[in-house]
Amino acid sequence: MIDLMNINPGLWIILAGLICALFPKTDGTHYIRKVFLIAAPIFAGWLIFQMHSVEPEYIRGVLNFGGIELTTLRIDGLSLVWGYLFCLAGLINGIYGLHEKCRITDSSALIYTGAAVAGVLAGDMITLFIFWELTAISSVFLVWKGGEHAYAAGLRYLAIHVFSGVLLLAGAVMVAQSRGGDFTFNFIGLNTPGGWLMMIAMGIKCGFPLLHNWMQDAYPKASITGTVILASFTTKFAIYALARGFEGVDILIWIGAIMTCFPVFFAVVENDLRRVLAYSLNNQLGFMVCGIGIGGALAMNGVVGQVFVHVIFKGLLFMSIGAVMYRTGTAKASELGGLFRSMPFTAVLCLIGAGSIAAFPLLAAFVTKAMILAAALEEHLWVPFAMMLFASAGVMEHSGIKVPHFTFFAHDSGRRVKEAPWNMLVAMSLAGLLCIVLAWPWGGYELLYSLMPFEMEAYKPYTWDHVVFQLQLLFAAIFAFTLLKRFGVYPAERRAEIIDSDWLYRRLGLNVALWTSAMWDRLNFQVNRLTKRSLGQVGQKLYQMFSPAGTMSEAAPSGLPAVLVAGTLLVTLIVIYVLGT
Amino acid sequence: MSKDSANPEVQEHAAEDIHPAAKPFLFLVGSTFKRNFLWIPLVGILITTILGVMHPLKHPAPWDVIPGSWAVFGFLAYSFIVFMARPLFKLLSRDESYYGEGGLPDPYVSAEGHSETNPETSDKSGDKS
Repeated sequence: MIDLMNINPGLWIILAGLICALFPKTDGTHYIRKVFLIAAPIFAGWLIFQMHSVEPEYIRGVLNFGGIELTTLRIDGLSLVWGYLFCLAGLINGIYGLHEKCRITDSSALIYTGAAVAGVLAGDMITLFIFWELTAISSVFLVWKGGEHAYAAGLRYLAIHVFSGVLLLAGAVMVAQSRGGDFTFNFIGLNTPGGWLMMIAMGIKCGFPLLHNWMQDAYPKASITGTVILASFTTKFAIYALARGFEGVDILIWIGAIMTCFPVFFAVVENDLRRVLAYSLNNQLGFMVCGIGIGGALAMNGVVGQVFVHVIFKGLLFMSIGAVMYRTGTAKASELGGLFRSMPFTAVLCLIGAGSIAAFPLLAAFVTKAMILAAALEEHLWVPFAMMLFASAGVMEHSGIKVPHFTFFAHDSGRRVKEAPWNMLVAMSLAGLLCIVLAWPWGGYELLYSLMPFEMEAYKPYTWDHVVFQLQLLFAAIFAFTLLKRFGVYPAERRAEIIDSDWLYRRLGLNVALWTSAMWDRLNFQVNRLTKRSLGQVGQKLYQMFSPAGTMSEAAPSGLPAVLVAGTLLVTLIVIYVLGT
Repeated sequence: MSKDSANPEVQEHAAEDIHPAAKPFLFLVGSTFKRNFLWIPLVGILITTILGVMHPLKHPAPWDVIPGSWAVFGFLAYSFIVFMARPLFKLLSRDESYYGEGGLPDPYVSAEGHSETNPETSDKSGDKS
């Protein structure tokens, strides 16, 4: 008899995905797949709840595999939040994708969601690695479902993520070796080379500067539903791993602060709104990484809260742009505009998402982002604080204003399309409702607090100073936008490919590889030619020497050997004489 | 656009007219509202600056001695980001086919030139700003 309480709940979602993959591809079977898509995350969430009710730190599924102890299930304060969050995201994404009849999308979405849930509930580094790689392998199909133009991006995505997994495993082995073979996944730190390797592996997955390009490369090219699903799990899984393994590691403060700032400049010039949102995602991850670097209860609870609401409001923004793309076929700002006339409900929901990410009072990030900023202030980290404040103005620019403005307002593109399908509206409404509820001053944000794993004095977000100063920043940003627009300073949206540091491998690296390959071919040719020529000459010399017509075959005087022997004897006698005296 | 109207993919998503729920809000894109919108954030800045003097930050940063410091910071930061857009675009923009992978998805129907043909909806600048 299978004991449900001993099995990682993520595995049930993976099983549902495998069943969907094996389902015959006939008319009507997609309804059954959709039932799995909705039911599996709910079931897993219910299991997590039941397990956590038994013990606050629930450890099961301990296996001994080749002398290594694996803990396949651990639910504690930290993993619980991610477990619930991923199940919730799986449910919302499932509703959003109800209109699709694609077997690959359904099954890979389930396997991907399950791998993410199972990964955050893993108690050891080997189990973590297995699900780390499974998230990469299962999710690449969502990229490839974007069409032919997504094929190369999918390959790059897969290669980068598999490489990240390899680094994670190598680091885990080194860390475990330094601990006497203990693979338990807890605080790692940077005291060992393995710790560095693991941090880089996590950095790849959560978009550290210069390691971030896979996100802006693959997300805008994935299918509409695929992008929404992709944006929910991979990066937040990595944030969980960082929070577990590297809390309070100083270098993360600076990495995070840089992560908040640099995407802002790319987002402002980017034309494709899904890519703008990918940069925005990168920027929000910076706040989380910075919070993990600061460490301590306030910052870490801020990170946990920020992750939770971020999945919801970022999902909402991706969903609203996805709905627009579903109706118009594009997410390019230069092709859109004035769509609130056709899609008013989507426009309102997008505005809720935009207000949430910009941290407007009464909307999601207002509570959680403030906790990270307050922690930076408490630690007197003025420069990272100023960088995050600068990035907050940037968030207002790209996600708060640019995305809704160029999609739904700006000038009328003349497109008259239908409102988003009902299932998309339901999913977006659910996310929009959560954005409001989780920041609601009268009992709402306490719901979020109840999930926070670290003991702290309750942080009060709705104080006069916090509300007033946050509004100062946001009003000033809106004022700057209107002023710059009126004077024609605000740049027009133009179609272009904006190159990022992936140019280094997509263009420079590729050209260097092609040049090296060409040079190698030429070198091979020359070496072969020289070898042939040299060997030919040696052969010719030998032939001249030893062939029947060669020098050695010529008749020599018979006295010559006698002279040679006599000469040798003379030399030997002289040597013996000299040594003897 | 008429050339594409036979395309079933376009027909599936096309609507005849403006959504009924949007009609009461068309004033949002009217020239009067657009012209006067500037005053809303400006008044907001003034009110919150006065309130900020009355309710100073509990953990101020060194620069928070200036009244309305976050408004100044927000305005300068936002403006800096926008001013950087032009040089960055010049530096970083390439043709959409630069990487030779087909670029990003394009619309079912091209809306190119629509703003020029519809004077009610056209922008004076003629671009998307």
